[in-house]
Amino acid sequence: MTAPPLLELEGLSRSFGGLVAVNQVSLQVQEGTITGLIGPNGAGKTTLFNLISGLTPPHAGRILWQGAAIGGLPPERVNRLGIARTFQNLRLFGPLSCLDNVLVGLHSADRSPLLAGLLNRPAFRRQQDQLRQRAHELLELLELDRLADQPADSLAYGHRRRLEIARALATGPRLLLLDEPAAGMNPAEKAALADLIERLRQRFNLTVLVIEHHVPLMMRLCDRLAVLNFGQRIAEGTPAEVRSDPLVIEAYLGSQA
Amino acid sequence: MSDLSLLVQMGLGALLALSVYLPLRCGQLSLATPGFYAIGGYVAALLSTRWPALAAAGAGGLYPLPALLLEMVLAVGLAVGLALLIGRPVLKLRGIYLAIATIALVEILRVVNLNAGWSGGAVGIFAIPQPFDGPGGYLVCTALLLALCCWFCARLEQTRLGRAMAAIREDELATRCMGVPTAQVALSAFVLSAAIAALTGVVAAHFLNTWNARQGGFDASITTLAFVVFGGSRTWLGPVLGGLVLTALPELLRPVGDLRLIVFGLVILVGPILAPQGLITPERLAALARAFPARAAGGNGVRR
Ligand SMILES: Nc1ncnc2c1ncn2[C@@H]1O[C@H](COP(=O)(O)OP(=O)(O)O)[C@@H](O)[C@H]1O
Ligand SMILES: [Mg+2]
Repeated sequence: MTAPPLLELEGLSRSFGGLVAVNQVSLQVQEGTITGLIGPNGAGKTTLFNLISGLTPPHAGRILWQGAAIGGLPPERVNRLGIARTFQNLRLFGPLSCLDNVLVGLHSADRSPLLAGLLNRPAFRRQQDQLRQRAHELLELLELDRLADQPADSLAYGHRRRLEIARALATGPRLLLLDEPAAGMNPAEKAALADLIERLRQRFNLTVLVIEHHVPLMMRLCDRLAVLNFGQRIAEGTPAEVRSDPLVIEAYLGSQA
Repeated sequence: MSDLSLLVQMGLGALLALSVYLPLRCGQLSLATPGFYAIGGYVAALLSTRWPALAAAGAGGLYPLPALLLEMVLAVGLAVGLALLIGRPVLKLRGIYLAIATIALVEILRVVNLNAGWSGGAVGIFAIPQPFDGPGGYLVCTALLLALCCWFCARLEQTRLGRAMAAIREDELATRCMGVPTAQVALSAFVLSAAIAALTGVVAAHFLNTWNARQGGFDASITTLAFVVFGGSRTWLGPVLGGLVLTALPELLRPVGDLRLIVFGLVILVGPILAPQGLITPERLAALARAFPARAAGGNGVRR
């Protein structure tokens, strides 16, 4: 018997008022793959991430994590199962330093009892040093280490996007949801980010679900692509399959060609 | 009022400000502090005047310090118990709704205290025995308590609980997505706030020698909030400064007569306009630390 997919969505739906933002979406994400989610603005991609990460409860359908239903769990529980995310509209802790932003991501890894911390016991100091070192490693990986002491809201836009990734990685995820991580970057920066995502996947054995509008980039980066349009998943497959899908050409790629 | 008594009052004000600060530090606008302060005061007043073993200990000579400690333990236990009980449902509220719910809590406690048989009604409880024979003793006691609470808040900033509190204040949903159980963190801040308020109430009841339902009402909610808004709510030094200064100000302004209330009001009004984040912010502390490198202090959790 084969193992269930790492993440599986079954007929997932969510509406806001009369608007069906996500409509009967089914999707399988296999462990170790990079899956791209594309679709025009307002197609429901971010809403799908909100459903998976527990920020928005689904109205219908199921979310399965390694075969077990997790729909309706609060976001902190979903994160601790191994699902971390970034936000399209950047939600960093503005006045906190980059290092502290990442340290918040390491909250669950910080096992020191409160009393040991208050008394500044040697064991507490040792653990804090380790955590700080891990945070610095993550910042270094995302080429942010020299900004470690800067407050997040003083960073340039591209740096903030990478800090979001560092913070999400700090929670030790198996599945990383990236919501338009390359938004606002120029083509060279986008290409560099794609390389970085590939490197992160190998280094952390990650499975990645990524939203990005730049289709040629996604074709190169992703193992699988899913296309959303008006809340519905209209295509799913390898990049080559999706590229030649007539529905996709009509609904999305066609308009760009 | 003697100078020493004023210093004691300033210290008590700073303690109450720290109690308001802790929930605000993690973005919770809770104004429940005077309610827990009243509980602390009643525990001290009732035990020391009505509980035979303790009351007898106070009769004649000084009220024994171990009895004072016992009151503190009981008052904190009661306040923490109540905070745990009501914290979960109340902290589901946000912003101004939380403020209103906690003000309602303070009012409920006040009305109960006003009408309950054991509380002495509107007259209150008199002749609360004195553990110290003058304001000097109270000053030492209050200063020790304040030092302890300052140390606690300063160390808290270095722990994961303190970092989580700062993060929740910036963006609660993002904090939850980082695996932080934010409801638990907010409840911890609320409970710690209740404990500090109750401790302050115990000392205040002995110091004031009398306790009634006027201690800890809506006025106190607003005044203690002003301490924190004035001083700053992102590092523990802010509320301490706000509590000390704004408690002293009305007394220091006595020579100007009725004008003092107007001046006091103006200070509270102009402070936040000139310094919206409060007088003391982690950024200003960091700038100070750069200017005087040898004497760096406080607020390392957050920098600008
Ligand atoms: N919290 C919300 N309340 C109301 N409408 C929403 C909410 N979130 C998303 N929507 C609507 O759902 C649709 C899908 O939005 P979204 O998921 O952000 O699209 P995408 O990320 O693909 O651009 C949009 O029409 C949007 O206005
Ligand atoms: Mg979106």
